[in-house]
Amino acid sequence: MKRRISKPAVFLRGIPIMVWLLALVAIPLVFTFIMSFYTSSGLVIDTTLSLKNYKVFFTDPLYPRILFKSVRLALAISILSIGAAFPLAYMVSFKIRRGRNLLFMLCIIPLWVSYLVRIIAWRTILGNRGVINSVLMAIGIIEEPLTFFLYNQFAIAITLTYICIPFVFIPVYTALEKIPRNLLDAANDLGANEIRTFLNVILPLGLPGLITGFIFSFIIALGDYIIPMQLGGTQGIMFGNLVWSQFGFAFNWPLGAALGFILFAIAVTILGLTSKFGSTEGGFLGE
Amino acid sequence: MKTENAIELVDVTKKFDEATAVSRFSVEIKKGEFFSLLGPSGCGKTTTLRMIAGLEIPTEGQILLEDNDVSSTPAYRRSVNTVFQDYALFPHMTVQKNIYFPLKMKKIPLSEARPRIERVLRLVNMEGFGKRLPQQLSGGQRQRIALARSLVNEPAALLLDEPLGALDFKLRVAMQKVLKDIQRNVGITFIYVTHDQTEAMTMSDRIAVMKDGLAHQIATPDEIYNDPATAFVASFIGDMNFIHGTVRENDGKACVLNVNGDTLTARREVNLEKDAEALVCIRTERVQVNPQRSVENKVSVKLTRIVYRGTDYEATCLIGGSELRAVVQAVAWDSSLRVGDTVEVAWSAEDMIVFPREEEKDVIKYSVEAV
Repeated sequence: MKRRISKPAVFLRGIPIMVWLLALVAIPLVFTFIMSFYTSSGLVIDTTLSLKNYKVFFTDPLYPRILFKSVRLALAISILSIGAAFPLAYMVSFKIRRGRNLLFMLCIIPLWVSYLVRIIAWRTILGNRGVINSVLMAIGIIEEPLTFFLYNQFAIAITLTYICIPFVFIPVYTALEKIPRNLLDAANDLGANEIRTFLNVILPLGLPGLITGFIFSFIIALGDYIIPMQLGGTQGIMFGNLVWSQFGFAFNWPLGAALGFILFAIAVTILGLTSKFGSTEGGFLGE
Repeated sequence: MKTENAIELVDVTKKFDEATAVSRFSVEIKKGEFFSLLGPSGCGKTTTLRMIAGLEIPTEGQILLEDNDVSSTPAYRRSVNTVFQDYALFPHMTVQKNIYFPLKMKKIPLSEARPRIERVLRLVNMEGFGKRLPQQLSGGQRQRIALARSLVNEPAALLLDEPLGALDFKLRVAMQKVLKDIQRNVGITFIYVTHDQTEAMTMSDRIAVMKDGLAHQIATPDEIYNDPATAFVASFIGDMNFIHGTVRENDGKACVLNVNGDTLTARREVNLEKDAEALVCIRTERVQVNPQRSVENKVSVKLTRIVYRGTDYEATCLIGGSELRAVVQAVAWDSSLRVGDTVEVAWSAEDMIVFPREEEKDVIKYSVEAV
C-alpha cells in the first residue's frame, strides 16, 4: 500500500533541502555568474555589465589551449584512477573472504592524511634524490638521477591519480557490494565463465558506481591547482592555476569569475553526458 | 554402457573445512524423473543440488551427467540449469534478455533465439512480458521467468532450489501444479529441493529424505510413507505415533512386542533380537477407536483429549509414558465419546512399524501439525 502524501506536505518537507541548495550552491553560483560580466581596472571593479572577460578567453589562444590541456589531463587522471581502483574494488569485493573490512580501510586510509602532506610525499618519491632515483642508483641501473619524474605533467598525473583512487574506490566498491552474489551463480549456471560473467553482469551492475567515481575524480583533477603548482614545474600551469591567479595575484576577480564559470560549464557538460551514458539501468553494455 | 540415467551420484561427499555437509550420497536419477531432495534445513540438500549444478565441487565421489563424469567440470559447461530460491534474475536486463542470456552464452544470434524465447514464455504462460524488467513483476511471475530462463537451453536436468519457498501458500499450491504440468510437457528431469514434505510427496516420482548430510531413504512417496527406512523418515513425513516396546519374538516375518503389558504384533521384517528395546510407530490415521470389526492389535485406554478439526477428530490417550493420537474422520466418529471414557484403540499388524530404540533421538516432534 502506498501512503498518499498531500501536496502541501511534500512541499513543506522539501523546504530544508531547498534552503540548503540555495545557500550553498545556487546563490554563490549566481554571484560568480554576475561577477563574470563586471570588469576590473586596477583595484576597482566596474559593475557595468559587459562581455569583455569572455572576449578575452576567446581571443587569447592561451586560455583555450590551457583549458584543453587541463580537460585532457583530467580525463587521463580519471581513467588512470578507474584503472587502478576498479580492479582493486573488484578484488576486495569478490575475491577476498577474510579481512575484507581491514582491506577496505587500508584502501581509504590515504584520505585521513593531509592533502599537502601527500603532495610533499610524492615530491620526495619522485625527486632527484627521491625514493625512486635513490633505489635505481643503489642497484646500479642509473648513474645520474633521472629528472623526468618531477616538474612535468607526468608528476601531476601520478599524484592526482593517487589522490583520486580512494574517491573512485569507494563508490565502485559500494556498487559491487550491492550485487547479489546469487547472480554470479546464476550466470555461471547459465553458461557464462568468469570473464563473461564480469562483462555481462558485474560491469553493467557496477557501472553506476563507476560513473560516480569518474565524476569525483574528474572534478578533483580538473579544478586542482596546488598539485600543478607544486609538482608541475613549467608544464604545470593548468586552468585551475589561471583562475586562481586572477583571484590571487592579478586582482582581476571578474576575469577569474568568467574563467571559473567556463570551467564549471565544461565540467557540467561532460558530467551530464557521462551520467546519461551510465544511468539507463547500466544498459549500454548489455546490448 | 549407455544407461537411462540423467544423473548419477556415486559416494558423493562434501566437506566445508571440517564440517561434512553431504556424506557418501549415491543415487541414480532416471531421465524424465521428478526427483526431490527433502529434509530439514542444514541437511545437505542444497549442497547436493549445487554439486550437481557445478557450483560446488565434491570433496570425494563422482557425479555423472548422462553417463559422463562431470565431477570437476565447471558449472558453465554443464548441461543442467538451476532455478534459484530467490530467482536470481538479472535486474539490468528485460525478461527477454534474461531468457536470451543462456542462448547468448552459446553464441546463438538473437534472431534465431527469438522463437525459442517465445516458446518458453508461452510454456510458463508469460507471453507479452518480454519487455518488462524483473522489478516490474510479482513474485510468482519472476518465478516463472526464472523457470523459463532455465528451460530455454533444454537442459539435461532442471535443478530447483526451493523455488516456491518465497511464495504465499495459495500461490505455492498453484505453482506446484504449474511445475508438475511443465515437467510432464517438456519431459525434462527435475531435481527439486524442498523442506516441505507435502510438496515433495505430491509432486515427486521419488524422494531422497536427508538429515545431517545423510540420505536416510531414497524411494517413492508411497514407500516413504508406508515403509519408512528410519525413525527419522517416519517422523519427518506424515503424522506418526511413537511408543516404547520390547521385542518378545521375532521370526523375520512377524515381530511380537510387549508394549506396556499388552502384546502387539507387527507383520513386517524387523531387524531386532529378542528382548531388544524397540520404538513402535503407528500412523495417527491408521489407529481406530472402538473398531467394528476385530483388529489384531488392541489396547484399552482412557481418552485424555479430544480435538475437533473440521474434517476429523484427533483423540489422544496415553500408552505407558507416550502419547498415542488417533485421527478419525468426522463422519466415523462416535460423538458420544468424552474425555475420560475408556475406549479400545486398535490397528492392524501391517500398520505397525518397529525401529531400534536408539533411533528415538532422530525423531522430529511436532507439537501441532504444520498446516
